[in-house]
Amino acid sequence: MMASSYNAKEEDGHHSGASSGAGAAKNRKPDNTAFKQQRLPAWQPILTAGSVLPAFFVIGLIFIPIGIGLYVTSNNIREFEIDYTGESSNSPCYSCAKNVTWNSTEPCFCTVNFTLERPFESNVFMYYGLSNFYQNHRRYVKSRDDRQLNGDPSSLRNPSKECEPYRTSGDLPIAPCGAIANSLFNDSLVLYYIDSNNSQSEVPLVKKGIAWWTDKHVKFKNPGGNSNLTAAFQGTAKPVNWRKAVYELDPSDPENNGFINEDFIVWMRTAALPTFRKLYRIIQKKPGATPTLPSGNYVLHITYNYPVLSFDGRKRMILSTISWMGGKNPFLGIAYITVGSICFFLGVVLLIIHHKYDNRNTSADIPS
Amino acid sequence: MTDYFIPRSAELSLCFSEPLFLQDVNDRWSLQHPQLYCPGQKNQYFNKKAFASCVMHSCYSSLILFFIPWAAMRDTVRDDGKDIANYQSFALLTQTCLLIVVFTQLCLDTYYWSAVNHFFVWGSIAAYFAITFTMYSNGMFYIFTSTFPFVGTARNSLNQPNVWLTIFLSSLLCILPVVAFRFILIQLRPTINDKVRYKMRKEVLPAPAPRRLLRRRSTRSGYAFSHSQGYGELITSQNFLMKRPLKRASLFPQTDSPIFQNQPQHYLDHQQIKKLTDSMNGGLSLLLKRRVAILVT
Repeated sequence: MMASSYNAKEEDGHHSGASSGAGAAKNRKPDNTAFKQQRLPAWQPILTAGSVLPAFFVIGLIFIPIGIGLYVTSNNIREFEIDYTGESSNSPCYSCAKNVTWNSTEPCFCTVNFTLERPFESNVFMYYGLSNFYQNHRRYVKSRDDRQLNGDPSSLRNPSKECEPYRTSGDLPIAPCGAIANSLFNDSLVLYYIDSNNSQSEVPLVKKGIAWWTDKHVKFKNPGGNSNLTAAFQGTAKPVNWRKAVYELDPSDPENNGFINEDFIVWMRTAALPTFRKLYRIIQKKPGATPTLPSGNYVLHITYNYPVLSFDGRKRMILSTISWMGGKNPFLGIAYITVGSICFFLGVVLLIIHHKYDNRNTSADIPS
Repeated sequence: MTDYFIPRSAELSLCFSEPLFLQDVNDRWSLQHPQLYCPGQKNQYFNKKAFASCVMHSCYSSLILFFIPWAAMRDTVRDDGKDIANYQSFALLTQTCLLIVVFTQLCLDTYYWSAVNHFFVWGSIAAYFAITFTMYSNGMFYIFTSTFPFVGTARNSLNQPNVWLTIFLSSLLCILPVVAFRFILIQLRPTINDKVRYKMRKEVLPAPAPRRLLRRRSTRSGYAFSHSQGYGELITSQNFLMKRPLKRASLFPQTDSPIFQNQPQHYLDHQQIKKLTDSMNGGLSLLLKRRVAILVT
């Protein structure tokens, strides 16, 4: 009896120390804080009719006007497209299509006449379009050397292995190397307006400002600056399928020559889909109320250099105006109208379901 | 390609840490409705049917996430006429659509929005955009030229209204069927989870804490009481085998299940009754013997 009141801790310090220590270590109960007991204040939403049904109706009511706006905007964009591949015998470029190959030295010319029904206002953009051309092929996409295109001198002389088999020509390294650069689009398109006197006046085409700013100023740089490119590219060869070397792309303008030539930059930005269009030239708007391209007859003079019939491809020229949503694409407008209507209809259906079955839910007892 | 690996892994790591803080019903309500654990026992949420519906939903989402950007980007350009349908912009658009859809689906599946959940959810989407813009910046291109060739893509495509409209459309097309389906299921076939959460929402106060019941205490001990005449027959009549909750007089009538009150419920079987009666008979005979002894002495 007396022993029980005696504090056994001091007598058997090791044991009780161990037990108290073990007791303290064994106490695995988490602290009684909101965080550890998962009692944090929280918002606990559930899908009720009061939140879901108004959401459906609101989404439907928002989407339909947006869709209508998009569709109307797309409809107001003027676009004109003309195919000049020349695969059928009655097309103007048929003879060029038959004769032109990659090794041709003589340029081939053809002209295509067309008529614009309605005038084109504001800036008009001229594109070239290709079909059945898979710029998104993986091996093709990898066949480039970004270091070389950024003006790195060591990569200029020793291009990346990814460029094979367009890495060297003979003993010399190719600049720019790779399959993408090798297949550069090299047709020339010039547009003339035929006025009422049957005289042709050339429509002024602007060749700068067609590439992304980041591409022109960050991604692509000439080795050793923009001056004296002939010397900078000494000891390199032109790509196999090119007619002229990279420093001869635009000798009249040092800001548009070499790797920073904008046509080259636009081509090097590989397209995602097999049917694509790339910006070729810009027709700037005329001051005053004159339409940029008045309605009437036009003639397109083509220097046909690019053979596409071997892979069943097609070439076309596109003239288009632009809006805040880009080019002419009615899909978004139609999709928004459709989704908005479906949403609204679904909201009505859910409202009916809710009315029929809601009393069942509120009186439903939780079975024990 | 390797350039979408980094935001994807960041998103995944944040998604894995998120479920640590999810709860749909708190501990009090879980104790009050133990039937909430039945769906887990019956494999209702993880079976072949659930897997098949998951596969179908994934197929549908995949088709939407490719074909909506494809149709929106076909033959279109930026608002200044320059290229937008290029390989890198298309990849970024599809990637962003996917991330937004995943993020919205995560928001739908999160029932418990504590501060931690808010941080992880909003933080993950912010991290994605931060990482994307960093990877596509000029600096990264200059340092690691061949690894980060997408320079300028984010800046040039994510400032286009039709890109954001496409993202908005595809995410809504992926999410709306899920929301509609879940709402219909809640209306037509509510699960125990839905019912408890609905009830939890209606009742403002949580379930009351277990209160000590006022029992009229008997001055007699149960053991002594059991020695009264006739109690032995009561026990051996096996009336105790019926599972009847013991009726107690209490000030506050409770409809709680017995488990909630933390009272051990004893249901006696045959062996236990025999033991009890034997001990009682033994005790009874002892008591009788003692009384006889007292009378005798």
